[in-house]
Amino acid sequence: MSFEGLKLSYMLSCFVLGLIVLSPTLVMVITLPGGERFSELWILGPGHMAEDYPFDVRAGESYSVYVGVGNHMGSSSYYVVYVKFRNQSEALPNATAGTPSPLSPLYEYRVFLEDGESWEGPLNFSFSGVLLSGNQYLVERLRINGVVFTVDKLASWDGENNGYFYQLFIELWIYSADLDEFQFHNRFVGVWLNMGG
Amino acid sequence: MVKHKSFVCFMFILMFSLFAHVCFADKVEAEKALVDAENDLASAYVSVAEAEKAGADVSGLLVKLEFAGALLVEAYNINGTGDYDKAYWFAVNCSESVNEIVGEALSLKLEAENAYSGRLFMTAALSSVALCVLFVLGLFGWRFLKRRYLRRVLRMKPEVREG
Repeated sequence: MSFEGLKLSYMLSCFVLGLIVLSPTLVMVITLPGGERFSELWILGPGHMAEDYPFDVRAGESYSVYVGVGNHMGSSSYYVVYVKFRNQSEALPNATAGTPSPLSPLYEYRVFLEDGESWEGPLNFSFSGVLLSGNQYLVERLRINGVVFTVDKLASWDGENNGYFYQLFIELWIYSADLDEFQFHNRFVGVWLNMGG
Repeated sequence: MVKHKSFVCFMFILMFSLFAHVCFADKVEAEKALVDAENDLASAYVSVAEAEKAGADVSGLLVKLEFAGALLVEAYNINGTGDYDKAYWFAVNCSESVNEIVGEALSLKLEAENAYSGRLFMTAALSSVALCVLFVLGLFGWRFLKRRYLRRVLRMKPEVREG
């Protein structure tokens, strides 16, 4: 090995050793980018499993599902889960545009989660003031977790799928500290309900 | 006697006017309390998030936020049914429980920042000492290596013999 080669390799070794010695301080100062950040939203059936979802529903009976949220955002997050109710002609959120459904929320859950944690809460619901007139069903009131909401929602007969269909769906919103407001987190999920089925 | 009665009446009216808004909140008051509670809860969350960013363990505070959030949800739901007194009460309770959280988050943040500064100072000091030792050893090492290299090169020099 030439003298210049020896000098260069010695300097490189010293530099690497220096970096190793400095690494504990560097780790404390430099923040490395984390993995993918996302949130989960789900609905489970009455047995906390993805089965036995209520489908054929009628007035006066109680139904139960579970709503869940998972936080993988890299830090604690503040979520609001809005429960909405629609018939087939009303709009769902637009996943492509990232916009929520224009329908007003009926019920809400407020959830604070640490990174990597998840939460699950009950969603008990029942219907009252259900009227069948011609080929239309009218649902006047929806009770969610003991709170009664006047919905006055009509559903027409769906000849293709044979039923009067409604959808109970949930939207996930997340609080943005930068904007000082909740933003639609582009996550939604729902259960289809066949009234009088 | 008349004087005494009118004094009692006056005191009753005074007390009623002072506490009437607590006992009989109207829609406007309830909605204002809801907006305040909403803002208080959001600021408390921001304080907790800042404390977490500083390295504090905020799991206890998140449980309290969860409780305050449940109060706010209750307030919204009851407000929807038209029971404004109860909605007002829940919203005010939410704001009160949240005020404690802000204070706790601030002290946790300060503690975490102090602990971080101490740790950073200690680590940086140790690293600096180690770096100085490495530099001195490096110089000595280089001198040793250079001398050894030159000796080896000189040994390789061809010798001239008489013949």
